[in-house]
Amino acid sequence: MKSIFTLLFLLFFWVPETHAQEDAYTYMDTDEEPGVELEISPEELEEVLEPSPEEDDPLETLNRGTFALNNFLDEILFDHIAAMYNGVVPEFFRERVGYFLRNLSEPIVLANNILQGEMQDAEDTLRRFAINTTAGIGGIFDVSTDLDIPYKREDFGLTLASWGFDSGPYLVLPILGPSNLRDTIGRIGDYGFDPVNWWAFFDDNKAIYSYTRTGVQILDAKADNLGIIGDLKRNSVDPYATFRAWYTERRKSLSARDEKRTLETAKPDEEDDDDL
Amino acid sequence: MMTSRKIFSMKTFIFTFFFLALTHTSYATDCEKAKTFMSDMGTKVIALLTNPSISNQERADEFRIILEKDFNLKAIGKFVLGRYWKQATPEEKKSFLNLFKETTVATYASRFKDYTSEKFEVLSCQCEADGGVIVSSRIVRPGGQIIPISWKIFEKNDEMRVYDVILEGISMGITQRSEFASVIQTGGGKLEALNAALAKKLDHS
Repeated sequence: MKSIFTLLFLLFFWVPETHAQEDAYTYMDTDEEPGVELEISPEELEEVLEPSPEEDDPLETLNRGTFALNNFLDEILFDHIAAMYNGVVPEFFRERVGYFLRNLSEPIVLANNILQGEMQDAEDTLRRFAINTTAGIGGIFDVSTDLDIPYKREDFGLTLASWGFDSGPYLVLPILGPSNLRDTIGRIGDYGFDPVNWWAFFDDNKAIYSYTRTGVQILDAKADNLGIIGDLKRNSVDPYATFRAWYTERRKSLSARDEKRTLETAKPDEEDDDDL
Repeated sequence: MMTSRKIFSMKTFIFTFFFLALTHTSYATDCEKAKTFMSDMGTKVIALLTNPSISNQERADEFRIILEKDFNLKAIGKFVLGRYWKQATPEEKKSFLNLFKETTVATYASRFKDYTSEKFEVLSCQCEADGGVIVSSRIVRPGGQIIPISWKIFEKNDEMRVYDVILEGISMGITQRSEFASVIQTGGGKLEALNAALAKKLDHS
């Protein structure tokens, strides 16, 4: 077990180098006139190479390395386990496992509702937890959604966002995938809040439950998203950038759920009608 | 003094009023009309994607026709390139727009190939500050799974067209802009690099 972790740790620091960007800068340093090949001036090139706000990713080199590692682990291990789980366990039971795990995490949602001062949400979460734990037989059925109290995701990362904390730099976590500094701290916070983890923490014999749960949570998430993740990887010209944008936009949309936010989109203008 | 001031402010008022009225109506989009437009198009697309009796090629061709008619692909293409649009040559832009359309057709054809008896429902509509409207809708899958999709629509020259698709709160325009910017940057700031990557993607699909 120890050697596996050492290996993972070493892989974490093995970062494939990207040369393309350096080449572009090298080109800019030369005094040569821009040739036919490059039709924009070096000044313009510099402006073009400067990342725009949504690509603010100071740890990109490290992140791309971790992303490559995660893809590698998915390919050799997790995808197979997830596909096997999807193949062997019928959808009905997989759904029960998913709901059971989600119900176990409702106390954390409740804590975050309270920390955000969202008392209506807190009440809903409490009712969900009570109804699903009893009528939903320990949470394996989501009766509350049928009673019009749908699940609303909350976590400590979103709580920090509601307190005004910025997302900080984008981070790709080993195995867990896309995150950012704020949401990583949020994850640690949620882990610490979790009553199941307290219960396991003080008794080594019970620690196995906590690990098993984390393992099944990862499996559940991977199995659930196998299709969509494969889709994104297949259809993207730069999966790393696509995952980064999806994660960033998704978190923005979750944290701004109650406020109306006008998304920046394409607009009509005079030029659209011209033929190129 | 007082009177002249009054007249002046009255003039300003009238001018401002007409100016605002004119500029505002130019792209203002009617919500109910947008809902009908979206409902018609969505039903058409779902019927097409879930029709088992046509070949994949026919499905892609039909989808391309809808995409060209009901989506402003040029405006979307321009948006997803962001500041790189300016620097590109007309040939590069033309080649990009074509590749962008074809990869979009290929992506959606593969994305929805497992669809069998999905339902498309238009829920609500709201006016946006920029003169467009957001139509909220959802796809209900046979297992009961719900996929929320919103559409950004503008009306221009009496024609409604889609300018962005927002899936579970994620704008496809913004994510693609980020993806494309990354490819262009790695390729030294040239649109050619993205065009090559898109062409390669298209060959493999």
